Amino acid sequence: MEPTRNGHATLVDLLDRVLDKGIIIYADLIVSLAGIPLIGVNLRAAIAGMETMLKYGMMTEWDDRVRTWERQRIEARKLLTKPDPEIEEQTAGILPRTGK
Amino acid sequence: MQNRETIETIINNMVMAPEEGRYVYCIADSAESVHLGKIGIEGNEVYTVPYNNICALVHKCNAEPYKSDDAEIVKSWVVSHDRVIETAWEKWGNVLPINFDTIIREVSSNSAEQNLITWLAGEYEGLRNVLQRVKNKVEFGIQISWDPRGVAQQIMRTNQEIQKMESEIAGKSKGLAYMHRQKIEGLLKQQMETGADGYFREFFGRIKQLVDEIKIEKTKKAENGLQMILNVACLVERDKSQDLGQALDSINNLENFSVRFIGPWPPYSFVSRG
Repeated sequence: MEPTRNGHATLVDLLDRVLDKGIIIYADLIVSLAGIPLIGVNLRAAIAGMETMLKYGMMTEWDDRVRTWERQRIEARKLLTKPDPEIEEQTAGILPRTGK
Repeated sequence: MQNRETIETIINNMVMAPEEGRYVYCIADSAESVHLGKIGIEGNEVYTVPYNNICALVHKCNAEPYKSDDAEIVKSWVVSHDRVIETAWEKWGNVLPINFDTIIREVSSNSAEQNLITWLAGEYEGLRNVLQRVKNKVEFGIQISWDPRGVAQQIMRTNQEIQKMESEIAGKSKGLAYMHRQKIEGLLKQQMETGADGYFREFFGRIKQLVDEIKIEKTKKAENGLQMILNVACLVERDKSQDLGQALDSINNLENFSVRFIGPWPPYSFVSRG
């Protein structure tokens, strides 16, 4: 299998990287405050070409379902399998954030 | 008098002129002081600001964030941001991408560019270490999804307990049959949870052995009714991804599974600290 950067989903991959990844500088000399998103969720979705989903309110429903699915999987992992410290450490950051 | 006018002009310019900033795209493993042309956001001129044997790729801008409600405009910014990083990557082989909309400002009597250099100096060792860690490596994204319907059908067909319960439904009253169905559904859900976890561990384990670094990402909505059960970013040595490709092939060939293998990217996911 060869890796690809084609396909319409690649814009989403690009957004994920450019907006969420890379070095984040925390210092007084930066204009915008880290942690305060300049590109909101709705705008991101629009860029990724999901206006239709937003329009019909499907975005919220999907969001909820994904969070529930994630939460259940993480809980199930803890109950059913031996704790793997590496996975525990890495999944610590992917639970839905509260109060942002 | 001329003097008073000059003083007023100077004061006006100081008060009215927007603060100057530097939009920073990435750090490159190079000491070159060059201009790369108008390849930046909004066609701005991109150039390097060197410190020791590294440099930052920047463009001059006002000290305020790029902000817009227009999806098309923001998309062009994001694309430009990545394009500058990829250009530097191609030119110098090793770069550390910086998060979007990072703009350095003036502080007291120090210009934005001075502040940038001060920051580079302070972070130099850390940046050098990361540059060394990602040298000659590229990032890939791997997303594995399954067809929940197909998997559910398979479980229904093969799980002994469910099979037993299905056979017990015949001859039950409507009410009891309904409750029985609920039980089967619960069992099916539980089996799928266990299954997803098991597959995650299995696939994660296989991938981990074939890459230098791996990071777990949030799963997202997959397409065509599929459900994403694994989403990772990994760092692999350039031109050494064949084994990984083969392993992903064998997963992709499994019934009910679908693999998305994307990249190569500059090491976006492997440069932030903490």
